Amino acid sequence: MADPAAREPTATPEEQVRRLYEGAETQTAKAMEQLVAGQGFGELLARMTENVVALSKVGSDVGDLVLRNLRIAGRGDITRLARQLNRTEDKLELLLQRIEELQDELNRERVERATKSAAKPVRATARKS
Amino acid sequence: MNALESIARLPASAIETANIMLTADDAKIGAASRDVIWTHRKTTLYRYRSNKRKHPVPVLLVFALINRADIFDLRPGHSFVEYLLDEGFDVYLLDWGVPDDEDGETGLDYYVCDALPWGMREAQRSAGSDDVSLVGWCIGGALCAMHTGIEGADSPARNLVLLTTPIDTSDSLYTSWVGRESFDVDFIAESWPTVPGRSVDFANKLMKPVTNFWTTNRRLAQGVHDGTANREAHQAMAKWVADNPPFPGRAFREWVTWMYKQNQLVRGRMRLRGERVDLGRIEQNLLVVTAGADHITPRSNTMPLLDLVRSEDVTHFDRPGGHIGLMAGSRARKETWPGLANWLAQRSGP
Repeated sequence: MADPAAREPTATPEEQVRRLYEGAETQTAKAMEQLVAGQGFGELLARMTENVVALSKVGSDVGDLVLRNLRIAGRGDITRLARQLNRTEDKLELLLQRIEELQDELNRERVERATKSAAKPVRATARKS
Repeated sequence: MNALESIARLPASAIETANIMLTADDAKIGAASRDVIWTHRKTTLYRYRSNKRKHPVPVLLVFALINRADIFDLRPGHSFVEYLLDEGFDVYLLDWGVPDDEDGETGLDYYVCDALPWGMREAQRSAGSDDVSLVGWCIGGALCAMHTGIEGADSPARNLVLLTTPIDTSDSLYTSWVGRESFDVDFIAESWPTVPGRSVDFANKLMKPVTNFWTTNRRLAQGVHDGTANREAHQAMAKWVADNPPFPGRAFREWVTWMYKQNQLVRGRMRLRGERVDLGRIEQNLLVVTAGADHITPRSNTMPLLDLVRSEDVTHFDRPGGHIGLMAGSRARKETWPGLANWLAQRSGP
């Protein structure tokens, strides 16, 4: 296959170098994509992830233990409190939704009642005439 | 520019490139004016008011859990939200926020059975409409599909737009990474209350390592050198890409196990709070959008949905671009947004 750079006689040396580089980069990108799609890479990634997670867990557990022994609230304590707040917020949200539903129901009834009472005198007048 | 000039310009180009990269955080994204309508835990519902509103059915935008929803309103002059407002839609955005350790027990059921329907309810009340149009992107699309798969015709969603949404993950690269037996997702979810966003982003970038870690920066440097670089566009996208909220541990475990290890959604075996997620219950007007160069959710991951739904009005757009470029790339305004807005406009009447 002919080199595309060679086909264009007007291409400057700089453009030729650029094209050659871009061609090489594209080839490398394709090769790397094939590499990461392989079974071996998937296995490696799984093991690496497990190791990183385990190391970070050890670090965070040690940090929390130090804080706890110093009688200072650790991340776990703050998380527990925040979870309680979450639960309270859930309950409040459900309560608010129920109140809004009841409010809508009440408004509908009020409108119906107002419509009925507005319609009554008209009928009475019609009967009289 | 001759070779000598080009070499002379190199130091200035290098400094300018470094400046663009280092000051990306200053870029203004998600700048359109909006009101907070409702909040619950970390979730916020925003309303963008249109002063040209002509469609009674509001549009509710739902994004994924692994990046911020600002991508819908990337930067002034290049914002899908602005475009919809101009087209006369009332626009709402459900932002999942930034979960923290206390949200570690938040599962997919919270997003599908609580936050999404509650957000829809608030959007309906605020817009004074009985219906909404749901526009979900990536995991956001999957959450919308799960919601309509449970609620069926009872959902207030009249229209359902799914952008690059994973449904059948059998041939996804993620499946070969996290779907394998040796990827211990339970250990990760037990050790980390929330999976750091950076690690999820790193894995995403690893799918195309040279392109994501090198070519993007090299192209920026080349653009600066040639005088063709768009500083605002690059910085806005770079800032958005780098902003990765953590993934709640339980939701991560469920997403990986149900979607990639067991591929439950397409098989109709997923259950949330005892309810089966049956994509065959979807009756909404459905628009499915896939991207030709999407390596995160390739077409084959979305297309099986078209054979499963009960909807009579089904449309499929296949557009150029990648997973994000489809909606946020430089060609999106011409090639993707008009089609979406037209499709919605035809189905958003009284």
